[in-house]
Amino acid sequence: MDKRITNNIAVAVLWVAAGITVAVLGAIIIYVFVNGVRVLSPAFIFTWPHGVNSEGGVWPTIVSTLYVTILSMLICTPVAVLAAVYLAEYAHQGRIVSIIRFAADSLASVPSIVMGLFGFALFVEAMGFGLSMLSASLALSLLMLPIVMRATEEAIRSVPRYIRWGSYGMGATKWQTVSKVVLPAAAPRVITGIVLATGRAVGETAVVFYTMGQAIWLPISPLESGRPMTVHLYLLAVEGINLPAAYGTALLLMLMILGFNLSARWILKRYRKV
Amino acid sequence: MSVQNPAASKSELTLVSRETQVKEWLLAALFFSCAFVAVLGVALIFAFVGWKAWPILGEVGFGDFLFGTVWAPSDGSFGILALIQGSFVVTLGALALGTPLAVGTAVFLSEIATPRIRSFVRPAVELLAGIPSVVYGFFGVVLLRPLIGELTGSVGFGPLTAWIVLAIMIVPTIAALSEDALRSIPMGIREASYAMGATQWQTIYKVVVPAAKIGIIDAIILGMGRAIGETMAVLMLVGNAPQFFAGVGEPVSTLTSQIVMDMGYSTGTHRTALFGMAAILFVISMALVLMVRLLSRLRD
Amino acid sequence: MYSLVAGFLVCVGLLSGCSSGHDSTTQLIVTGSTTILPIAEQAAEGYQKANPGTSVLVSGQGSSAGIEAVMTGTSEIGSSSRDLKPEEEGKGLVDTPIAFDGIAVIVNPSNPISGLTVEQLRAIFSGEVSNWKQLGGEDRDIDLVNRDEASGTREAFKKIVMTDDAKFDRSAVVLPGTGQVRDVVARAPGAIGYISVGFVAPRFGSLPVKALPVDGVEPTKATVTSKKYPIARTLHFFTKGEPTGLTAKFIEYVLSDKVQQGVVVDAGFVPVSDRDGR
Repeated sequence: MDKRITNNIAVAVLWVAAGITVAVLGAIIIYVFVNGVRVLSPAFIFTWPHGVNSEGGVWPTIVSTLYVTILSMLICTPVAVLAAVYLAEYAHQGRIVSIIRFAADSLASVPSIVMGLFGFALFVEAMGFGLSMLSASLALSLLMLPIVMRATEEAIRSVPRYIRWGSYGMGATKWQTVSKVVLPAAAPRVITGIVLATGRAVGETAVVFYTMGQAIWLPISPLESGRPMTVHLYLLAVEGINLPAAYGTALLLMLMILGFNLSARWILKRYRKV
Repeated sequence: MSVQNPAASKSELTLVSRETQVKEWLLAALFFSCAFVAVLGVALIFAFVGWKAWPILGEVGFGDFLFGTVWAPSDGSFGILALIQGSFVVTLGALALGTPLAVGTAVFLSEIATPRIRSFVRPAVELLAGIPSVVYGFFGVVLLRPLIGELTGSVGFGPLTAWIVLAIMIVPTIAALSEDALRSIPMGIREASYAMGATQWQTIYKVVVPAAKIGIIDAIILGMGRAIGETMAVLMLVGNAPQFFAGVGEPVSTLTSQIVMDMGYSTGTHRTALFGMAAILFVISMALVLMVRLLSRLRD
Repeated sequence: MYSLVAGFLVCVGLLSGCSSGHDSTTQLIVTGSTTILPIAEQAAEGYQKANPGTSVLVSGQGSSAGIEAVMTGTSEIGSSSRDLKPEEEGKGLVDTPIAFDGIAVIVNPSNPISGLTVEQLRAIFSGEVSNWKQLGGEDRDIDLVNRDEASGTREAFKKIVMTDDAKFDRSAVVLPGTGQVRDVVARAPGAIGYISVGFVAPRFGSLPVKALPVDGVEPTKATVTSKKYPIARTLHFFTKGEPTGLTAKFIEYVLSDKVQQGVVVDAGFVPVSDRDGR
């Protein structure tokens, strides 16, 4: 009797904990949605900010965000995937592998402000790329690297051994086996990892703040500056003069990240069944 | 696979041409160098941040920098003790608030939720993890800060506001990792517990959670890493007064927020000091990763 | 495959970057004061529209960053809402005033206080006075709201108000933006802060704040122009040497009536031409 009451209370508390977590998410989404949807319109998305209070749209910031995100994805993906191939297929467990893993874990936990200052010191100043898409992309790709690496390695490891044996049995070399058999089989999960890492890059603020600058500008060459959505939102929030635009930007940002998350889920679901 | 006859030369026995062998070897080397990029990245961060921070030892001195109590760059005073304290006050408070919620959510997901409820709650937790920190900061500034300001009768900046927002931010990290740890506990252990007449709750807190203890501690440490390195949300909520903790409603400043506040205009020793603060943050985050590694070695 | 594409893109980027790069005849960089940011951004937009093919990149990182940038040559124009510090003088920077600005002292509308003197402000912001009662107001703690050190508004306020080596109270909330200062003061009954006169009136549905007369003078455009209002400052464009080429044309554009009577007035500042007695 006694222990059943304790049990019921404890289970209820756990329900409440999960409930609070979901409720907080709901509250944030609803709050941003309700306040942001009023300003969201094609004009808001596709025009430039103008006027002393950033009235009008946020188009250049969307372009800057997508530009820097795609560029960092292109820089990060090949390195991360091949690194994961090495760890999963080639490496012998030993000192070097454990150093690489430790480095990847450390990279994953570097505070974004540290990455920002590092990017500023190395890419912006020492290498002379200036406040630019390229500097920001290089710093961001370092941040994405461990995420994509881990996702890819797990994906490769989940490919059954016997598929490889089949390939080797037919006389394929290691690289042929990896490139023609293992990677295609692991592809959906690799892509999921890339999409999630990209979502992380979209939401990053402190890193791009010090590597990209904040000029409202449509970047064309990678050496041009720009202002990503996150920095735009930050500036609107602290300047606090045009809050409606801030809500709109926050909503767009969340929709974008929601899109990345959902598409990652969709890719996984669709290909897992096949 | 190995060559049995030592008399036969190796080249006669290989199945593929020498060219293919070289190609395979080169590819392996390429993959290795890609994997080494991670090491290179960490080394570069260490080298560059360290290099930029190094002069602080000569210009201010290690003791005066780390243990100096006054941060007033315009007066030539570069002590960061108050900022370090601020960082820890904000982080530990957020952990105290967030951990029970996160571990509770994790236990709920792995032990109590039906598959249908889980398929709804787990994505929600992951979505929470994906929301950018600047959005959390914005949310805190426009909604939570005025609310807390009204409740406490002050301006609403300070550790309390930061605790709540940071706690929300670290819940998904801790919850997702803790759930993974809980799920990796074999079903048989739970069944044995139930078979002995234990209730669900007794099974959870006497059997499952202790078995997953190290995994959960790992998750909390990583959550701590996220909280201590968090920048934008903290910057927007703590009030940025570089003083020692004086109450939950009194503004404080942290290592991360002070870097952003000062970076734009700092020059000379001041900028060096900011890089010194970044170096300290980097060392803290490395130490936390190392702690997780040591713990996992303990488990094996 | 991917790596080839990425490598190729980076190469193309580097090449195109090198060739188009930073050409001072078609591209101009303006860095500095966040106070001047709205003017500079608007003027840049207008200028680019009127002169296709040129680009004026504006960023606001604080006045000191702007002055630093123009000295090191990373920007052609450094915008600053404060005067040069002694150590920055004599390095060949040429000053072009582009507008005037008054700094309003703001309190919550519910605060019955009707005015302060510069001396009282100094006592408040240095923490010597911590209750409104000591200033003839109601019995309520004063919540100080300060700006960050990168802010030109803080610098100007410090120079005019915090004289005689008075130091800002270190327990004050420090906020990085005008809007936040405004919002905090609008909500907290005991708060006091300072912002540009142009931002006192509510916009976009923000809450009202009360601007206090200082030494008996209301902060208005007229009193700022006539120099009656004590806490006023000049907004500057600094260039390294006399401006030439695109830089000179852009500054000329900023000083034209179109910008001065348009953007500058819209942003709540006082045009330079007004004080010249035109």
